[in-house]
Amino acid sequence: MWQQVELALSQSAHRALVTLANFLPGLLALMLAVLIMTAFGALLAVLLRRLLVAIRFDERLTRNPLISLDWAPSHSPTLLVTRGVFWAHVVLGGLIGISAFDAAYAGNSQMSFFLLPYLTHSVGAILLFIAGTLLARYLARTVLIEAVNARLHYARFLSIGVKWLVLVLTTAMVLDHLEIGGTVVDLAFGILFGGIVLTLALAIGIGSRDIVSRSLERNVDTEVLPGDPTYKPPITHETLRHF
Amino acid sequence: MASTPANTAAAPVEVTPPPEANLLIHLSTVSPEALEPALANLALAFPGLPLTVAVPDIAPNLTATNSFNTFQLFPYTPAATSTTSWILTAADYFNTFKLAQERNAPACLLLGAESHTMSPESIRNLGAAALSNSDLAVAHYHPRPHEGLLNSAIFYPVTRALFCARPRFPLALDLGLSLRMAERLATVAQRFTAANQEDALIWPVSEAAVAGFPITEADIPHRTAPQPAATDLNALLGQIAGSLFSDVESKAPFWQRARATVPARTITAVPGPTEPLNVTSMLESFHLAYSNLHEIWALVLPPHTLLGLKRLSVMPQEAFRMADNLWTRIVYDFILAYRLRTINRGHLLGALTPLYLAWVASHLILVHSGIPAERHIEELAIAFETDKPYLVSRWRWPDRFNP
Repeated sequence: MWQQVELALSQSAHRALVTLANFLPGLLALMLAVLIMTAFGALLAVLLRRLLVAIRFDERLTRNPLISLDWAPSHSPTLLVTRGVFWAHVVLGGLIGISAFDAAYAGNSQMSFFLLPYLTHSVGAILLFIAGTLLARYLARTVLIEAVNARLHYARFLSIGVKWLVLVLTTAMVLDHLEIGGTVVDLAFGILFGGIVLTLALAIGIGSRDIVSRSLERNVDTEVLPGDPTYKPPITHETLRHF
Repeated sequence: MASTPANTAAAPVEVTPPPEANLLIHLSTVSPEALEPALANLALAFPGLPLTVAVPDIAPNLTATNSFNTFQLFPYTPAATSTTSWILTAADYFNTFKLAQERNAPACLLLGAESHTMSPESIRNLGAAALSNSDLAVAHYHPRPHEGLLNSAIFYPVTRALFCARPRFPLALDLGLSLRMAERLATVAQRFTAANQEDALIWPVSEAAVAGFPITEADIPHRTAPQPAATDLNALLGQIAGSLFSDVESKAPFWQRARATVPARTITAVPGPTEPLNVTSMLESFHLAYSNLHEIWALVLPPHTLLGLKRLSVMPQEAFRMADNLWTRIVYDFILAYRLRTINRGHLLGALTPLYLAWVASHLILVHSGIPAERHIEELAIAFETDKPYLVSRWRWPDRFNP
C-alpha cells in the first residue's frame, strides 16, 4: 500500500515539475519580449524626441492653421508622439510575448487553454479599471462643482455618492471580466448599487426640502393680491447684471 | 485771385461730402421689431446724410423698401450666421468686413443688439471716433454699480494690464472699425467660422493692441444692454472668461513684452446705489464653496492665496472685503491653470464662479459704504498692472515654487 502511495506521490510531483518546466520557458519568453521591446521603445522615444526638438516640431504644428488644437505645455505634441511610440512598443512586446508563450505549448495543452485567455482578460480588466477610476474622478468633480454652484449643501455627499457608484460598477465589471466570483459578484453589485442609489435619493429628497418649500413660498407670495390688508410689498433689490 | 460772380456761376460747384457720408453702418444683431426704431435713431444721429445701413435680411418687407429717410438700406444674406444675438460674435465681424469691402467703405460702425436705446449723440460720437485717426473706436458705457460686473472684475483689468489698452469695455457691443481693423478681425473670425464656430467671441481690443492699431473710446452714457439668453452664471463665465483666457494664451508672446502703463482714468461722480444691499446669497455661495471646493482650489492657487481665502471665509458680512491683490492673484493663477490644464477647463471655470461671487459681494459692500464703484475698479486695474510681473514669471517658469 505504501508503495502505491509513494508511487502516486512521485508521479504527481513528476507531473507538476514537468508542467512547471514547460511553463517557465514560455513565461521567460514573454518577460524577455516585453523587456526587450520596452528598452527598444525607450531608446527610440529618446531619439525621436531629440529629432523633433531639433526640427521644432511643436512650433511648426502650432503655426499650422489646419491644426487648431490647443496644446498644454505639459502635453506638447513632441511629448505625445514620443510617449505614443514608447507605449506602442510596450504593447507590441506584450503581443509578441503572448504569442511566444502560446507557441511554447502544444495546441491542445490545458495550460495554454486556461492561462492564455486569462492573460488577455487581465489586460482588458486593467484597462477597464483605469478608465472607470478616471471616469469616477471626473464625474465626482463635475457633480461637486455643479452642486456647489447650485448652492446644494449636500454637494460633497452627492459627489462621493456618484464616485462610489461608478467605482462599484467598475469593480463589478472588472470581476465579471476576469470571471471571478460568479453570481456572488452580481448579487453584491446589485445590493451595493441599489443601496447607494437609495441613499442618494433619500439624501437629495430630504436635503431639497428647504429648496422646495422656499420655491412654494415664493409662488404663494406672488399669488397674494396687493389689495389684501396683510400684503406687504417685498423689498426690491437691485438685479445683478454680470454682463 | 478774386473770382467774379460770373466765374462762380459758370464753374461747377464742388460740394465736399462730410466724412460721415462714407461710413457703413452694420446692424448685425438687430431684431425685426427693433429695426424701425434703430433706423429712426440713426436718422436723428446723421440727419440728411446718405449713409448705407447694412441689415441682415430678417424683416420680410425689408427688400420692398430699400431706403429709409436718406439712408440706403442694404439687406444682405449673411456669409456666416450666428445664433447669439446679445453679443458680437465671429460671424458679425466676418460679415462686417465683407460688407465694408463690397461697399468700399473706409470705416464702419458695428452696432450691437438694442442699439436703438442709445442717444443719437452717442452714435454720432462713435461715428466720429471711427472716422478719426483711430482704427478701433470702442463704446464706453456708464453702468450702475450692479451692472457689467464680469467686465469690471475680470475683462477690463486683465485687458488693461496685459495688453496696455485703455478701453473700459473690451467686449463692447458697439464698435467703430477702420477697414484694416475690420479686415484683421475678419481674418481671426474666419478661423472660427471655418471650424463652424460662428458664435465664438473675439476680443477686438487685444487684436488692435497686438497689431499696434490706435484705439479710442466714445462716450455712450445711456444704453440698454441686451441680456444673455442663458441666465446661468456658470455658463456665462465659462463662455466669456474661457474665451478671454484662450485669447490671453494665444497672445502670450505679445503681452509678455508689453510694458506701457495706461494713464489713470478720471472718475466722474455718480450717484450711489439707493436700493438695499443684499449679498447674503453670494456670501453663502462662497462659504459653501470654501468648505467643499478647497481641494480643487488647492490645485490651482498657491498657499498664500489659500490663506487669504481662509481669512476671507471667517470675515463677518459687514467687514467682508476681498483685497484687490488677492483677487488679482486669483485671476492670474486661474489664467495660468487654464494654460497649463492643471484640471479640466470646464471644472476650472466652474471653480472660479464662487470666488467671483465673493468679489462681487465685496465690491457691492464697498460701494454701499460710499466709495465710488469706478474708483474701486480703477484701483483694481492698477493692482492687476502692478502684479503683472508675477503672471509673466509664472507663465515662463510654471514649476517654480510660489509660496
